[in-house]
Amino acid sequence: MKIYMKPIELIAWFTKEGIPHPIKYKIQTEDNSQKVVKILRLLARTEEKIAGNRMYIFKCEGNINGILKIFELKYELNTCKWYLYKI
Amino acid sequence: MFERLEMFLINKYTKHLIFHIDVNSAYLSWEAASRLQQGDSLDLRTIPSAVGGDPETRHGIILAKSIPAKKFKIQTGETLFSARTKCPDLVIVSPNYPLYRQCSTALKELVQNYSPLIQQYSVDEFFLDFTGMNNLFGNPVDTALKIKEHVKNELGFTVNIGISTNKLLAKMGSELQKPDRVHTLFPEEISKKMWPLPIDELFGVGRATSQKLRDRGIKTIGDLAAQTPAYLERFLKSYGTLIWNYANGRDISPVRNNKTIPVKGMGNSTTLSFDVTNQETAYLILLSLTETVTTRLRDAGFCAGLISVSLKTNGFVFCSHQKKLYSPTDCTSAIHEIACTLFDQLWQGEPLRHLGIRLSELCLNNFYQPSLFEEKLEKQRLLDKTIDTIRSKYGSKAVFRSSFLHSGLSPIMGGVIESEEYPMMSSLL
Repeated sequence: MKIYMKPIELIAWFTKEGIPHPIKYKIQTEDNSQKVVKILRLLARTEEKIAGNRMYIFKCEGNINGILKIFELKYELNTCKWYLYKI
Repeated sequence: MFERLEMFLINKYTKHLIFHIDVNSAYLSWEAASRLQQGDSLDLRTIPSAVGGDPETRHGIILAKSIPAKKFKIQTGETLFSARTKCPDLVIVSPNYPLYRQCSTALKELVQNYSPLIQQYSVDEFFLDFTGMNNLFGNPVDTALKIKEHVKNELGFTVNIGISTNKLLAKMGSELQKPDRVHTLFPEEISKKMWPLPIDELFGVGRATSQKLRDRGIKTIGDLAAQTPAYLERFLKSYGTLIWNYANGRDISPVRNNKTIPVKGMGNSTTLSFDVTNQETAYLILLSLTETVTTRLRDAGFCAGLISVSLKTNGFVFCSHQKKLYSPTDCTSAIHEIACTLFDQLWQGEPLRHLGIRLSELCLNNFYQPSLFEEKLEKQRLLDKTIDTIRSKYGSKAVFRSSFLHSGLSPIMGGVIESEEYPMMSSLL
């Protein structure tokens, strides 16, 4: 997988304990069009605290251009921003 | 002789164990780790790089450097210009103090898992009291290795850890070889590991003391340890005894949480990016510095009885002048007025690059006796208090003196991050 770390728009649902679960996201592609990707399955959630900055890393599965792909999303807790980390 | 025996017995029977944890090239490592987390493929630590100044205006000095940069003989404190002549490909990044505070806080939280007694010595150094913790965590060296790996894996940067029976030796130990190492420096190891080192590597020995010692043939820490305190006191006074004890690995200062040192004075200073040549500008800068320091003074609940103004010319000549007050005050206007008077008495017209104000002889402000010669006192104090409240609620630039409008100067100068506390290093252990 290659690292992109692109900021994305994302819809998620939160559990009562405050854990986010991503549902689908919208990303700007190279030809300036918007693409919506639905997360079909959440494979794993890990947390990192590099340089004191807490981030959740979600390993997910979704359909991109008809192909089932695995990618990683990152959620930055202190800014509430989502990124497409690796795909 | 007696002192030595006492220290030996104390250390033998109470079995103090102190760790000193020191982040390697802190500002640079923290910036590198942050960038990697944000998806950058380049690790700044692997190339010649440094943190410093303002790359846009091309002014400033080196604050931290990477290990590859050391090979080009780049030194902390030198100008970006001279660093670039040594290494034209040097990557320079600006400092990011909120990031450093974030990393420091995260490191503190991590370290607190290993002992209840932690002292944050500076933004990138911590003392940890491990006395008696071997029952919980086992062997101290193994625990130190564990802490080192924990920091590397969780936070993404490396530290050095020094282990000994007191803070001085623990701190000297952590600097033996970098990066990413654990070192012990117990009293029995001093002669082998510490005494061969050059004298300026000893904690507490700076440029001036080092020169005085070298002039007398004292070149290594071992040479210093072999002297008698009486001889050292002749040219170093009580400081001589202190560094003699340090050279022999003796230090009894406890690991303390930071609240217990009494504040003796507060100051703020600033180095300017242009030469100050007229009185009006100097007065404005002094006002700006006074605003910063008096806010801190009132916040700590003190009044000051001694005001000192310092300046540095563009030729790096430093001088200062101070005045004792009949009655201590915490009022911005009053202190500014005196600071300006002191400045007039001190300044001889040369272009200036640095100005500073220091307030000392502090006393608590709950007992305040106004002198017969002070007017409008209550009004001034109420005004200061109101301004402090507005600034703490809406930011320090929410309200400022109109003389700063269109002046090109910031109304609040001095300090690193203006709104929050930044743990600065101190010269006391």
